[in-house]
Amino acid sequence: MAADHRPVHRGTVDFGPSLKIERFVYPNGLTLLCCEDHSAKVLSFHTWIRVGSRHERPGKTGLAHLFEHLMFGETKNVGPGEYDHRLEEAGAETNASTWLDFTQFTVNAPASALPLVIELESERMQHLALTEKQVSTEKDVVANERRYRVDDDIEGAISEMLWSAAFTKHSYHWPTIGWMPDIQGFCPEDCATFYRTYYAPNNATLVVVGDFKLATLVERVGKNYALIPSSVLPIEDVEPEPPQLSERRLEIDKPTPTEKLVLGYRAPALGDNDHIALGVLAEVLSGGRPSRLLRRLVHELEIAADARMLVGPFRDPSLIEVSITARGDHHAEELLQVLDEEFDRIRSTPPSAEEIERALNRIELGLLAGLDAVDGKASTIGFYETLLGRPAAAFERLEAMQQCTASDLLRVARRFLQPESRTVIFVRRTPEATGEQNTVST
Amino acid sequence: MKVPHHTLRREIHGVPVFLEQSVALPLVTVTVARRGGATLDPGGNEGASRLLSRLSRRTAGGREFQAIEEELDRLGASLGSDVSYSSIALSGATIARSVEPFVALVADAAGRPSLDPNEFERLRRETRAEIVEGLDNDRALAHRALRRVLYPNHPYSRTASGTLSSIERVAYPALLQHDELTRRRDNLVLGMSGDIDEDAALRLAEQIISAVPETPSETNVLEDPTIPPGRRLVIVDKPDRAQTQILIGLDGAKSSDPDHTALHVAMTVFGGTFSSRLMQQIRVERGWSYGAYATLPIDQCRQSLTLWTFPSKDDAAACIRLKLELLEALVERGITARELAFARKSLIRSHAFSIDTASKRLGLALDTSLMNLPDDYYDGYERRVAAVTLDDTAAALRQRIDPTKLVIAVVGSAKELEPQLRAAVPDIQSVEVIPFDSPDL
Repeated sequence: MAADHRPVHRGTVDFGPSLKIERFVYPNGLTLLCCEDHSAKVLSFHTWIRVGSRHERPGKTGLAHLFEHLMFGETKNVGPGEYDHRLEEAGAETNASTWLDFTQFTVNAPASALPLVIELESERMQHLALTEKQVSTEKDVVANERRYRVDDDIEGAISEMLWSAAFTKHSYHWPTIGWMPDIQGFCPEDCATFYRTYYAPNNATLVVVGDFKLATLVERVGKNYALIPSSVLPIEDVEPEPPQLSERRLEIDKPTPTEKLVLGYRAPALGDNDHIALGVLAEVLSGGRPSRLLRRLVHELEIAADARMLVGPFRDPSLIEVSITARGDHHAEELLQVLDEEFDRIRSTPPSAEEIERALNRIELGLLAGLDAVDGKASTIGFYETLLGRPAAAFERLEAMQQCTASDLLRVARRFLQPESRTVIFVRRTPEATGEQNTVST
Repeated sequence: MKVPHHTLRREIHGVPVFLEQSVALPLVTVTVARRGGATLDPGGNEGASRLLSRLSRRTAGGREFQAIEEELDRLGASLGSDVSYSSIALSGATIARSVEPFVALVADAAGRPSLDPNEFERLRRETRAEIVEGLDNDRALAHRALRRVLYPNHPYSRTASGTLSSIERVAYPALLQHDELTRRRDNLVLGMSGDIDEDAALRLAEQIISAVPETPSETNVLEDPTIPPGRRLVIVDKPDRAQTQILIGLDGAKSSDPDHTALHVAMTVFGGTFSSRLMQQIRVERGWSYGAYATLPIDQCRQSLTLWTFPSKDDAAACIRLKLELLEALVERGITARELAFARKSLIRSHAFSIDTASKRLGLALDTSLMNLPDDYYDGYERRVAAVTLDDTAAALRQRIDPTKLVIAVVGSAKELEPQLRAAVPDIQSVEVIPFDSPDL
């Protein structure tokens, strides 16, 4: 008997001033979000899987990310290298990413390649072949990626150190790329179990933005994905992070020409209402040159080359990361002193109306600029759908930010910028990186 | 597939103005470019053009730097200064409702900067700090070393940002002189894209153009660079590296070379896609490097073909050796008919992503004008790629690629790498070791 591949239409939402998102859910639990945009003969096809490094366990860290790599390998009906070869021949480009809460796959393709994209994407959701050779080679590639993005990258290494120090119980403790011994220890069985558990239609959302006919897309997705069985998703075994009651301080030497200061304050989950006000506050503090931190540290005192602040966009409470790079021979302690002064100030005096207006305009510009191409739209839709279950939340959040008052910003500054619950890393220069050296030729 | 171009081209006071309209988003981008970029830096003063461009932006219409930044944020706008080898551009975007005051600010930056000397000194200090911060970026270090050794005595050896020592040498009077020589109306190319109609765009373009002096420019003709013979190795010595960054540079091609498209197709086969020979042999087969690429950029003059990989220090020597063997095999035996068919289809079909947004289409129009590309360079791209034959690619590879004449730039510990690389790479003619924090890098 043929499988029923007809989906239920679960509603339409506006996406910005001129686009709409249609939501369909298929009998096997697969969600399809479609956004027609006929401004160019291209489309972006995203597959969002609700599995990230948060679902791993100690000793098996990095599995979600390794799996992202393995998804480009051979399948039952598609030989080694054929996935990329056929898509590239069709003019498409592929990419993927893994983070704490999700894994995401992108195919940007000419509109005419839609049938091929659906065929190949559905094939790898159900028929991936996990050979010994494939797993072994990909482990080497990931080890190389780890050296590139973490071991030899100051920012990557310090970020890993910060999160592992700030989280003691929650699975945000380990890095998405995984610890090196764990990466090297995976076997095909680990991968097969992970695949059967998480790569299922009821754990996935397809997001398609671009030049297509809605009815054709919905029909074709149904035909190609209908036979993929849903899985029984395990209950998430994530420990909440206990409150941090005192500051944690760490120090590390790196071959870098200047000292750096990295801090992690406690941040609310993305779905928490205070996350919205904190986003505005972060822009007031570090968004652009007139912001308080850059004005003081870079422009007036000239003791820093740069200062950044990011409120973690994650499902569970995470971190507000602050990174400051010293200038010349200035020390991280000097940076910390100014930061503390500025955070004391924002906790006692709310930002002015003009500061808030500037921050909101920057945020609006950033949102619009990120939606220029179909890939940016698909990323934005997929991200908010996966994290919040609301595909147009980017615009909802912008509206909510525009309602934020000085009182809201004062409240979140007092609630979250607490020195007692922060983690601080001082990055020192290794001796080799500080001396004057001369060119040697042979 | 052919997507029609919508780019309007107009002239105002002899200045080409390009417009790409799109109402998809309430955004407008504006670019004011000047022909001649980092290659116009006075000798020994590399980084001068970039300093000048940034100083113009920071002193627009005699305003204070912080006042400009605040104004941009109030408008919901951004404005940056980009310096390439061929051009200096002020480029920005604004929420459409603010386009009028935004363009007034851009006009002040392009035509009426105060070039305040105190702000210049502040900018110099900031630039110095940025260059120091850049020492953390190993790939950028490899790139700097590669260009320095690849093209000695040619402006293409420079980096747009300059070096610590060259930035110190830029004197304020010389900077003013550089401004006088380069801020000329007949040097300009303008572009706008997004949610703006033609009448408004032309009116605003006029506002920018009329702010720039009419004095005629001097003509600068840049010769193609030449790469000295032999295989040369340059190691950027940096301690505690688990991984290397490796760039190999060779003679490339320029858009007016008759075999440019054929070489572009051949290099797509060699290192332009995930299915390419480099990626398959180095990443997929051996797991040595997360990426393996070959790039063939275009500019006014012949630019270098560059191969990029980043294996661990233990695989670096074998990786370089394999890349050179693959390159030699490519030149000797060419590409196959199947590879040619694949590359042609891939390039023609993926061209849709070069023209899928108004800002990208505007970018192509500006490039065509700034780099003196043939008018049909992008419109005729699919036709030219489709016409490439196996014989064309074989001839282009033999004519342009010489694996005996190249530079290998590696970032890592020289003590560990030098003996391995000398032993593994045949015919190395010279080795230069540069400390990663050298003020001249």
